[in-house]
Amino acid sequence: MKKLIISGLAIMLLFLSASAQQNSGALQSAVTKLDQAKTAKDYETLEKEFVKIAAAQPKDWLPNYYAAYCNAKIGFLLQDDGESIEPYSNRGEAQAKAAESLLDKNNQKKELSEVYTVISMLNQGRVFINPMTYGPKYGPIAQQFLNAAKQLNPDNPRAIYLAAWFKYNTPKMWGGDKALAKQLAAQSLKLLDNAEKGVTPHWGKTEDQELLNKYK
Amino acid sequence: MKNNVIKHIILALVPLLISQLVFAQQRISGVVKNNIGDAIPFAGISIKSSGEGTKTDSAGKFSILTKATGKQILLVTSVGYKSLRKEITIADSAISLDLVMEPNAQSLNEVIISAGSFEASDKAKGASLTAMDAFTVAGNNADIALALRSLPGAQQIGEREGLFVRGGTGDETRQFIDGMLVKNPNYPAVPGLQQYARINPSLFSGILFSSGGYSALYGQAMSSALIMESVDLPDKSSGSFHVFSAGMGVGMQKLARNKKSSYGVSLSYNNQAWYNAVISQRVNYFSGPVYLGGDANFRIKTGKTGMLKFYTNWSTSDVGMRNPDIDSAALRSGYQVKGTNVYNNLSYRDYLNNDWKLDAGVAYSYNRVNIIQNLTDASGQIVNVPKEPFNSKNYHRLINTDFAQGRIVFTRMLPHNQALRFGGEHFYSKDHGMSNDTTIALTDNLTAAFAEGDIYLANNLAAKVGVRAEHSSLLSKWEIAPRASLAYRLPDGGQFNLAYGVFYQEPQNEYLYQTTDLNFSRAAHYVLNYTKKAHNRFFRVEAYYKKYHDLLKTDPAISTTGKGYARGIELFFRDKKSIKNLDYWISYTYLDTKRDYLNYPDEIKPTFAAPHTATAAIKKSFPEINTYLNISYAFATGRPYYNIRYNNPDKAYHIYDQGTTKGYNVINLQLAYLISLFKSWKQKPFSGVSIGVNNLLGTNQVFGYNYNADGSIKLPITLPAARYVYAGFFMSFGIDRTSDILDNNLN
Repeated sequence: MKKLIISGLAIMLLFLSASAQQNSGALQSAVTKLDQAKTAKDYETLEKEFVKIAAAQPKDWLPNYYAAYCNAKIGFLLQDDGESIEPYSNRGEAQAKAAESLLDKNNQKKELSEVYTVISMLNQGRVFINPMTYGPKYGPIAQQFLNAAKQLNPDNPRAIYLAAWFKYNTPKMWGGDKALAKQLAAQSLKLLDNAEKGVTPHWGKTEDQELLNKYK
Repeated sequence: MKNNVIKHIILALVPLLISQLVFAQQRISGVVKNNIGDAIPFAGISIKSSGEGTKTDSAGKFSILTKATGKQILLVTSVGYKSLRKEITIADSAISLDLVMEPNAQSLNEVIISAGSFEASDKAKGASLTAMDAFTVAGNNADIALALRSLPGAQQIGEREGLFVRGGTGDETRQFIDGMLVKNPNYPAVPGLQQYARINPSLFSGILFSSGGYSALYGQAMSSALIMESVDLPDKSSGSFHVFSAGMGVGMQKLARNKKSSYGVSLSYNNQAWYNAVISQRVNYFSGPVYLGGDANFRIKTGKTGMLKFYTNWSTSDVGMRNPDIDSAALRSGYQVKGTNVYNNLSYRDYLNNDWKLDAGVAYSYNRVNIIQNLTDASGQIVNVPKEPFNSKNYHRLINTDFAQGRIVFTRMLPHNQALRFGGEHFYSKDHGMSNDTTIALTDNLTAAFAEGDIYLANNLAAKVGVRAEHSSLLSKWEIAPRASLAYRLPDGGQFNLAYGVFYQEPQNEYLYQTTDLNFSRAAHYVLNYTKKAHNRFFRVEAYYKKYHDLLKTDPAISTTGKGYARGIELFFRDKKSIKNLDYWISYTYLDTKRDYLNYPDEIKPTFAAPHTATAAIKKSFPEINTYLNISYAFATGRPYYNIRYNNPDKAYHIYDQGTTKGYNVINLQLAYLISLFKSWKQKPFSGVSIGVNNLLGTNQVFGYNYNADGSIKLPITLPAARYVYAGFFMSFGIDRTSDILDNNLN
């Protein structure tokens, strides 16, 4: 009888670890694809994949984080399309909130910094919907989350990239600074040089380079 | 006997049959959620083959008992989500399901009925209009009605204020603030000269400009309704001031520390005499034009969802002019109008619970218009010539109007964004005063009741059906006005809209002073439109037909026996995408209208209607040099003009002369440059300078002609000066209100 229980447990354990492996494998494969994504369509397909992974791994903050990131990225890619952005911002925000709720506020500051960077991007996405009316409302919120992200982890290359993006795209009158933007993008790029790949957030290189290319 | 046996057998079988039925029923239960885990209430669940179905409760849960067995298809539908088909196998045990619905990307933008209307709201997305877009059109003189002339349907009328929409006069358009009628939105009219608006457009977060087929919640406007929604609480406390060539103003808004209440005051003074001393005018003023206005407001959040708002506006004006008399070279004709107006609006809205919303309001306004007309000789002495046409040129009229309105609207919210609204309102108005030596007194009580339903017939099909009943004590008549509209969305995001409605309006007091044996005037609207919004572009085309009945006639006697029609096609296109930092829209209006009203001898084209009108509004920002450029252009083909005179022998009015004015062509330009002052301050103020020119090219605009008594002389009605130029400085503290100030054209 004992034997039976033990072997039963063993089988269960095997099964569990296999499924866990399978899950993290799914996340890794999606993140690898994410590194190659370019168009809004790519991000849309990947977002669906991350949503599925999130359902299978409800305790892990990363799938929700990546789903939110995909939606934030779509907002930036569709910035000239106004009204089409909103559903992505709304979905993204719910996913980012879900990711935030899975984090320990005291011990996972770096992770939280990543989530806040994405929330900042999602709010900037809302500004694109109609800069004249949504700008005054969501622009400051985007700025607040970026500040919070930088405070939690001053060396977060993605928060630094986003700060560079803001400095580059804000008119001088309202605090924009192209020279500072260049400096920040270079700083972000340097921090990304020895970033590990894996499933932890490591995006930003392409974005930094894209920004720096505007100075050439 | 045999029968008895059969009966027994049947009776014996009955329980068996019933139990069979009972046993064959299977329970399917579960919960419906969306992809981010939120429950979807009121989703429809049905079994395809049997049609048995139910709806989910507020927690997204459902339960169906079914007789169906074997392989079945379960259909799940909900507005805003893609329909879900789930294959299930019903065997001999209950089934529990967790269903996940995917949002339908297209229906995230709901079908919103938009036939006959332009919405300018702060919630606008993409290329839809915001309230600020609407009133930042160059050359609008801080008047919403003027700003909206850049939209299709409106006529380019330069000699008076108001919105002339689709063959309707300016009086057929009414303005509403938070549901309450604004009886006198502009300073008192002066013949041949456009007057300013009293209400500051930056107070509004939403403007609905309806050029036809509007909701049953509003009435007494035969052509068009301008429905404005005031801002709730400001985002921050702020202050601002401006000094322009002909006027100055100061204002502030204070938001309470707990962000639950706010108050604000503003004051503005505008004296055109300063300006006219520098730039000569065709019109010779002996007084003003001078305008002084102030407003105050408070707004309080009550409870969790309530909002109480109070707005008061007080203003006075004085315009006096004296010009050569058209009937005699030796005489001069004077016209002076002094006005005082107080407007108060208290409104309250609250959600009574999850299903009910209440909107209520009271308004009171007082308006005093004092008109003095006289004929003077070369030395300035008043002359009385006791014969036609001079005997009517010495004239004095003073009218005081008290106006009060009470209104209540209940909204019952139903699943799938459906709603039922109903309520009532009462208008009390009392005019008292005198015209020369005749006393004028007129009291009217107008009561209205209305109901309207928003019905979503399908994911892509919505309807709004309403009815309005009105009773006037003065006319002692009831009228019933049905309204209906329909919207159908195409899979590509384009939308077709259809609207129908009947609209009533009381004749103007001017005529009611003389007789109350009149009917309501009436217009029926039929509107068809197509809109498509995508990628920061917005296209709209609309066709309509409008039939007028019971228009006011002054000849042979004052009666409501006039009639007419209007029909046309309008186009609108806005593009914010093609060129960076450039926002422009263009519109085209075709209008074919004829009416028999006032002293018109027949059904003819009215003098305020041009067949073709085109407008463009262009806004370009140059962020690198802190400069904003704002241009508006309007073109209209000539308007008809007539010399209609009374012919004594056959006791009737005839047209003695007629023609078409030359086309109207105007470019308004505004340039603003922002400057940084007091950089060291904690809250850096936003400052700037702005210059602008209305009628940049100095085109000679002719709006019509004035004839002398025998028709031998005709003088064009034109602008008081070739151009209107303004320049000024403005500054705002706290919240950035730069664009409001810039674009209000404070002059």
